Amino acid sequence: MVAVAQHPNIQLMTMAEVVKVDGYIGNFKVTIKKRAKYVDWDLCTGCGTCMEKCPTKKIPDAFDMGMGQTTAVRMMYPQAVPGKPYIDAEHCTKLLNGKCGICEKVCPTKAIRYEDKEELVSEDIGAIVMATGFDLFEWEKAYGEYGYGMYPDVITSLHFERLSSSSGPTGGKIKRPSDGKIPDSVAFIKCVGSRDDTKGKSYCSRACCMFTAKHAYQLKEKNPDSEAYVFYMDVRTAGKGYEEFYMRSQKAGAKYIRGRVSKIYPKGDKLVLKTEDTLLSKPMEVEVDMVVLATAMVPAAGAKELAKTIGFSTDKDGFFQEAHPKLQPVETFSAGVYLAGTCQGPKDIPDTVAQASAAAVKVLGLFAKNELATEPLIAEVDYVKCSGCEFCVPICPYKAISIKQLAERCHGEPITRRIADINPSLCQGCGACLPACRTTAINLKGFTDEQLAAEVDALCL
Amino acid sequence: MKRRVGVFVCECGTNIASVVDTEKVAAAAKNMPGVIFATNYKYMCSDPGQDLIKNAIQEHGLQQVVVASCSPRMHEKTFRKAVEDGGLNPYMFEMANIREQNSWVHKDRAEATQKAEDLVRMAVSKVLRHKPLKISTIPITKKALVIGGGIAGMQAALDIAEAGHKVLLVEKEASIGGKMSQIDKTFPTMDCAA
Repeated sequence: MVAVAQHPNIQLMTMAEVVKVDGYIGNFKVTIKKRAKYVDWDLCTGCGTCMEKCPTKKIPDAFDMGMGQTTAVRMMYPQAVPGKPYIDAEHCTKLLNGKCGICEKVCPTKAIRYEDKEELVSEDIGAIVMATGFDLFEWEKAYGEYGYGMYPDVITSLHFERLSSSSGPTGGKIKRPSDGKIPDSVAFIKCVGSRDDTKGKSYCSRACCMFTAKHAYQLKEKNPDSEAYVFYMDVRTAGKGYEEFYMRSQKAGAKYIRGRVSKIYPKGDKLVLKTEDTLLSKPMEVEVDMVVLATAMVPAAGAKELAKTIGFSTDKDGFFQEAHPKLQPVETFSAGVYLAGTCQGPKDIPDTVAQASAAAVKVLGLFAKNELATEPLIAEVDYVKCSGCEFCVPICPYKAISIKQLAERCHGEPITRRIADINPSLCQGCGACLPACRTTAINLKGFTDEQLAAEVDALCL
Repeated sequence: MKRRVGVFVCECGTNIASVVDTEKVAAAAKNMPGVIFATNYKYMCSDPGQDLIKNAIQEHGLQQVVVASCSPRMHEKTFRKAVEDGGLNPYMFEMANIREQNSWVHKDRAEATQKAEDLVRMAVSKVLRHKPLKISTIPITKKALVIGGGIAGMQAALDIAEAGHKVLLVEKEASIGGKMSQIDKTFPTMDCAA
């Protein structure tokens, strides 16, 4: 992370979102919205005094999955890059009702800016790499049998990561959220939302088998007396060193039980899991202190809208669509836009890194040239015939058609009229505009109406 | 533009020739309007096959070229290059697909041969109406935008930056790192995620 921040060729823009993309490969015009930080990062030294003195200290910390607490002026986490704080406008009392202002008083460099506003910036860009990642499947909305999120000790794998992390809310001790007790037994349930057509997604999220093996291993490592039960449909360990790791997890004492958990219900301070061991064809009930759900990966919130903004497609599950599943795994149907990581589909870290490097190579291949050749088999407008009806404009999937004013003379008088104009750099020659053109003013070079009619004549006459 | 079409019928080993009588197709092509040269050959995409096109353009003063072979997805670029090397505009070329849309899907030799002749006749009448087209060029802004500062975005940004190009990395949150920064240790090596 630090390498990224320190690289002289990388400009970092955090708390920012791409809101508009115009142009085409090699020549994109990108508009970015920078949200208000309320702290001048040029002046801020990241000393942390404001965070220490902030009186609003009991905000549930989203980074710790709501299991810890944080302040209104904060860094996302201690090792955040850039290592500068921002003010959470939803919780800051100064921004909400004008009272407080302590952070401004204590800041030694006078970097606090309560009047800070969001701003729009525009950038000229040659190529775009999409790396918007994933979110967790919202199991609380779908899995009533696991309590719809009512039981505090039914958590997700990402909660478990925070519990296990030495910088997390428990300092790295595995404690259950409800009462902070060190659990005697933990159940891990795989495929929550994945491989479940009825309640979730039909696909396999690919990383869960391995991180669940890791979690079971970490539990046994940190609390050797705890029981780790893993409920699974299948164990998929296709990766270098993965099968060996799964074995290591079992050797450490993780108990793997093949079966879907059909219900979780509370009994005293315990949770009871109803399931079946399908290898023994035997129904069973297991009592545990905590349940960890390996929830499916889904596309990040807003990914679909972003794809629409930029102008490429998403697949049936909302992941970004690659141009070819085998031969063009990092390209999109929009030239100059490439894919990296889980925005394209669920994957683990090694695959993500490999795909990111592949996307970088595609960008470098483009940048190795000084000019880009464009295919001449594209649509052209006969200005004489065009009536300017605009039917073709919304139909173009590449946003290549715009309306321009044509100046000409009519009976000796100068007039202007509207006509369709095709940007030759954007047009991909798909031909979608042709049937929309009521005056047959649009023709595809190399596939003109005259040529197609001649072909039919050659066959039929 | 003069009407001087050359037709080249590919056998594709036995892929086409086992179902389509390529010799008969070439002979029929010779009588099509505008065609002044027609031949068949074992592999048009091979080096000698491409030379056949180049030499015929020179020898017979061809102005348009039709190759009856596989799908344009396969070899349109190959033949355009051969046409260009022969001295013509690369877009004075048309391809008739007599493999995927003919020999691979038909069994009857007489009917398939008739269909191949029809496809060639269509291509010839189309190629006569081709106009020379020019490839244009557009400039490239050598700056990349990476959207998302997780492990994927950081890796891509670093690789592009290391190669000497400017990168703008845009992240929605206040810090880069993404989901990776929330993870404790990583499988299978159990090294630290941060």
